Amino acid sequence: MAYSERIKNFGRIRDYMRDFYVYGFKSREDYTLKSARSYDDERRHLESWLGDYMRFRQGKDGKTVFLSIDSRRVPHNPLYAAWKTRSFTDGDITLHFHLMDLLRPGDAPKTLREILDGIDARLSAFHSPRTFDESTVRKKLKEYAEEGIVEIQKDGKTVTYRCAGDDTVPVSRDVLDFFSETAPCGVIGSFLLDRLPRQVSVFSFKHHYITGTMDSEILCSLLQAMHDRRYVTVTRRSRNSGRETRHLLVPLRVMISVQSGRQYLMAYSEDACRIRSFRIDGIISVLAGEICGQFDELRTRLRAMEPHLFGVSTGSRGGEALQHVDFTVRYRPEEEYIYQRLLRERRCGTVERLSDTESRFSADVYDASELVPWMRTFLCRLVEYHFSDKALEAQFREDLETMYRMYGVGEASPS
Amino acid sequence: MMLFSELYSAYYSAVAAVLTAACDHRAGKEEIREIIRERAFSESLLSMEPALTKGEWQLLLPDGTTPLCAPPTMPLTTLQRRWLAAICQDPRIRLFTDELPSLGDTEPLFSQEDILLFDRYADGDPYGDEDYIRRFRLILRSIRERTPLSIDSIGRGGAVIHRTLMPERLEYSEKDDKFRLIGSGCRYGYVVNLARILRCYPSPVPPAFQSAEGTDASKCCVTLELWDERNALERVLMHFSHLEKQAEKLEEGHYRVTLTYDLSDETEMIIRLLSFGPMIRVTGPEDFVEKIRSRLILQKQCDPGQHA
Repeated sequence: MAYSERIKNFGRIRDYMRDFYVYGFKSREDYTLKSARSYDDERRHLESWLGDYMRFRQGKDGKTVFLSIDSRRVPHNPLYAAWKTRSFTDGDITLHFHLMDLLRPGDAPKTLREILDGIDARLSAFHSPRTFDESTVRKKLKEYAEEGIVEIQKDGKTVTYRCAGDDTVPVSRDVLDFFSETAPCGVIGSFLLDRLPRQVSVFSFKHHYITGTMDSEILCSLLQAMHDRRYVTVTRRSRNSGRETRHLLVPLRVMISVQSGRQYLMAYSEDACRIRSFRIDGIISVLAGEICGQFDELRTRLRAMEPHLFGVSTGSRGGEALQHVDFTVRYRPEEEYIYQRLLRERRCGTVERLSDTESRFSADVYDASELVPWMRTFLCRLVEYHFSDKALEAQFREDLETMYRMYGVGEASPS
Repeated sequence: MMLFSELYSAYYSAVAAVLTAACDHRAGKEEIREIIRERAFSESLLSMEPALTKGEWQLLLPDGTTPLCAPPTMPLTTLQRRWLAAICQDPRIRLFTDELPSLGDTEPLFSQEDILLFDRYADGDPYGDEDYIRRFRLILRSIRERTPLSIDSIGRGGAVIHRTLMPERLEYSEKDDKFRLIGSGCRYGYVVNLARILRCYPSPVPPAFQSAEGTDASKCCVTLELWDERNALERVLMHFSHLEKQAEKLEEGHYRVTLTYDLSDETEMIIRLLSFGPMIRVTGPEDFVEKIRSRLILQKQCDPGQHA
């Protein structure tokens, strides 16, 4: 099929965008799962939509193309562009603008016949006017009713159509500039911004993760199912093996990391009979099912687990119900900000001030390994640490020894 | 409700703008091209211009007018209304307005119960505080109107700092859950945490200095080698995905990554890199490596493992 800038299936470009943006080291030859033609087409798409952020590097394995974006320097998420590329037919776009012209806000409802006549009258101005049959127009109106832009009214056997509201965006551009970057499914805010006159945003964003953009449709489906308290059947694809698995779940909450950009679905798994987390970027489809009568009860159960969740893991590798971690940091009296840091970053843990130079953090969590990266941020101050999982404690110590060796810090001590 | 829909496409948006122009006057080829360039993508012109001008899309007549009766409109979709209803439940909406839009009985797409930012810092700005809201709105207006501001704020040591600056933009950190005002024309730094502001009012006189706000000149690079154990490759690249970066495969399971960051964030970068433990090794620049080494030397001195 000839190349087209517009795309029908977001799934394929979703994988490429992640590869180009997050990883960025693969060359054309590395894309073994897909054809070379597919790679060329997707790269061309990204060049067309995001050309300003495309970078190239020539290495011994060939040319590498990647996306490099400092999200602090861009007022609007450039990846939103990909969601504005859906393909359509010549008939779709022609019909759209004529329908919207016929069904204007405040106009009286029209029958299908009146609409068809109106379209014919407008198209008669063209040299070879195209015609739309009754079924095509009815189908499009039904589709628009589902999207909420057309209202269908039935009075006995008479069906009429009218515009579902006006086109006023009821919030300011500042509101959209801010929330389109910070709220879940922010791309919808970007769609709204497209309706308004252009203006420079007054906002910029630090620590701004935009990787979730590619998962907006999956997230949106999960949020809708959650709102309706429905079961979902999700299909996941393993990034490493490519294997697909299906899970029947009750979606309970979306947990987002503002320190990595990862998004997780916390859900009750009917297969595992427990609440667990699922990476949203690994989900490739969501199918909403029946309403779940136990939704509130399950959500309450999740809420009761939260005092023991440092991250999203609901089970340790050792299988214990809860694992204990504590550590003590030392600082100078003028380094009060370290104590403040502990308070600010403690999440489900507790912080105890032992003296004006030492504080202790402790927590009982489902998975103590989730604390390890954070504990390492206090390296140079850790004077004591204990894990109830002794294997994890040994690994923490061993990792430290490896770091000492890596950076030539003295000799490794005997274990 | 479809999120990936042609209704939200750049193409429909560009065509709506072309037809708006054509309702007003005969749209010329150059004007059409300009609109497409501005609203769509670099290759869009190739397909859109002929489709519009040669009658594939029967919307624009050969003379540049349109048979449409009025400029195109489209009501908000249900998805857009539901998203708006959701953001209206966010406490930060009060920073912008006291009057929430009327969205009828629209169900929000999500509630505050549905989402948790689980690793956000706990000392975020006080979005319900009336003084904070008043200052936020004044700053927002001053940026738009290019009005200098006089600001009294609490410095790190607790002393009150007075400065006059030209407000340029508001920077929000999702991790810190804080706004910072980025200004120019000020001797004592151009970044002010909004929550640390005590008083803020329009200044009758411009800032005393002509300094610009922070620019690319303050950007730095750090290079590291990475061994893909315990999923380190994905964790590191996701964690630093918000920065400009380059990743290169050296051999199977071994990579080199270069990150570009702001000099003012160096301490934060050091501790973030330390969090990855021995899966990464910072290789340059040497002064950055030395800062990592210094921390490890201190750690070794107080390491309980050393005395076990």
